[in-house]
Amino acid sequence: MLVRRILQFFIVYAAGIGFLLALKSIMGLSDYVIPGPLEIWTTSLAVANSYLYDVLNTLGVAMIGQILSIIMAFSIGTAARKSSWIGSFIKAAAYNIQAYPIVAVAPIIFILLGDGFASRLIIAAMICYFPLLLSVVSIMSEPITDIEHFYLATGRMRWQLEIKIRAFENIRKLTTVISGSATLAMAGTIVAEFIAANAGIGHAIRIALYQSDLSRILTALFLIGIFLSLYQGTLEWMGEKIIKKWVIVDPEEIP
Amino acid sequence: MKKNTLQLFFILFISCAVFSVSMFTAPSCQGEETLNYRLKWLFNASVAGDILAEDQNLFSGESLDVKVKAGGPERDAIRELEMGYAAFGVASADQVIRARAKGAPVVVIAQLFQVNPLQWISKTNKPAINTVEDLRGRTVGITYGGNDETIMKTLLARAGIKENELTLSSVRYDYTPFYMDKIEVWPVYKNAQGIIIGEKLRKEGEDIRFFNPGDHGVQFVANSVVTSEKMLKNHPDTVARFKKALLKGWHMAMNPANQEMALAVLEKYNKNTPRALQEKQLTATRDLVWPDRTKDIGRIDVKAWQQTEQIMLEQGLIKSTVKIEAALIIP
Repeated sequence: MLVRRILQFFIVYAAGIGFLLALKSIMGLSDYVIPGPLEIWTTSLAVANSYLYDVLNTLGVAMIGQILSIIMAFSIGTAARKSSWIGSFIKAAAYNIQAYPIVAVAPIIFILLGDGFASRLIIAAMICYFPLLLSVVSIMSEPITDIEHFYLATGRMRWQLEIKIRAFENIRKLTTVISGSATLAMAGTIVAEFIAANAGIGHAIRIALYQSDLSRILTALFLIGIFLSLYQGTLEWMGEKIIKKWVIVDPEEIP
Repeated sequence: MKKNTLQLFFILFISCAVFSVSMFTAPSCQGEETLNYRLKWLFNASVAGDILAEDQNLFSGESLDVKVKAGGPERDAIRELEMGYAAFGVASADQVIRARAKGAPVVVIAQLFQVNPLQWISKTNKPAINTVEDLRGRTVGITYGGNDETIMKTLLARAGIKENELTLSSVRYDYTPFYMDKIEVWPVYKNAQGIIIGEKLRKEGEDIRFFNPGDHGVQFVANSVVTSEKMLKNHPDTVARFKKALLKGWHMAMNPANQEMALAVLEKYNKNTPRALQEKQLTATRDLVWPDRTKDIGRIDVKAWQQTEQIMLEQGLIKSTVKIEAALIIP
């Protein structure tokens, strides 16, 4: 699974580079607009070490941000699964906050928290959290009528059991949502670094943009893609493991 | 199956390439007369002459149909020249030198700012910075990757000050660290943010002073008007008429006698900045664009360009000299 993901990324990246180089060749563009293959190669060698550190730094923040988002989204999402006033309120609030452009909100966060780790983490979590919350709310609020009906009819239904049934029946959806949210967390961290932070690959991209250096940006994109593929692949693998474990164990565990 | 997928992928790739090329080349094929002029930044006092030339029909007076387009942080006029989206543009000297170093066929036809507006501010209740040595032990803001980083590091290197003798602190759009005295010396565009921050602090009973690197021997050229070598070679008359109309616009905008008209045009293009502020910004711009009234607006300062190139070479921003004089079109 992991190898396939990396391979797919290589194909997409190579296609992108190939497209740019074809465009450069057809239109006779200078290295300033689109750098040549030699420049891309030499630049990537020159910045590889520092960018590798930057990407790992960003990925670290993104992972923490995602974990926080998952914990919050599952806590609030399961609490809001009922079609109650609180549930609909949380949904409406999540939709509204999600619609705010993060570039408008980010300066307020940076004023309050400075441009260090905390700001990057909060922005990463913000971008990742709300889509995750909405997915969890919609998945967990969907009754599994066939199973739940039995427990409701026999008066044995408790809220813990309801969550277990719904999580079990939607485990594949939930693991997909979690692995998908890795992209959002990474994107959120990069946006935060791009706007104001002093570290991470987003900060490095910002500097490269100031200096109109597309080869550095292409190197950064390559590393981001590789590490994101690795991270997502790992999450998917973990998801599969969890599904297998649940499928074997779960029928006995449900009272 | 695998072969089919590869074929599909190949067809998709070729279609994308053909579509993109046809899109990018479409404007030049249509042979339209409109010439796009891409500015470096948004409409404000820094582009007063550019927008005045459009508003007062100075381009049409030269039988040219010019559309002045606002710039922005992610806009790059030189790239737009090469892609054929713009015929003329505004770029800073470092952009031009970087582009030339990478083979971009760009030339400079006029230098709008004779004094670089990029300067540093400090509060008047803090010790004055009269010499570069006064920066020792201070916390100085720089935008990593930006021109101010290059300029500040050049100032320090030339004064023999090591970077560990002061604190260089990364800055962006939020001025809170300056207001809260966490960063004492802050980079600004003198005629834009410099005015706004000064106004805010004066309301609080504080004031600012400027530190101009140019006064300490570092001449780093700012915004200039650029076009492509192809445009200059194939349409020298169009370039000459464009430059004539544009500089006429700048003369009108910078002439104190036309202040009211210039402000009215600025208000038309930039509705979000109060008139009083725009008036101060316009006055500040005048001192940067036309500091010496005996000399022409738009004059290309070759020595300053050479120094800019030398600075970029020293700072490792270009690998070898580009002989920038070759790109400066001096009548």
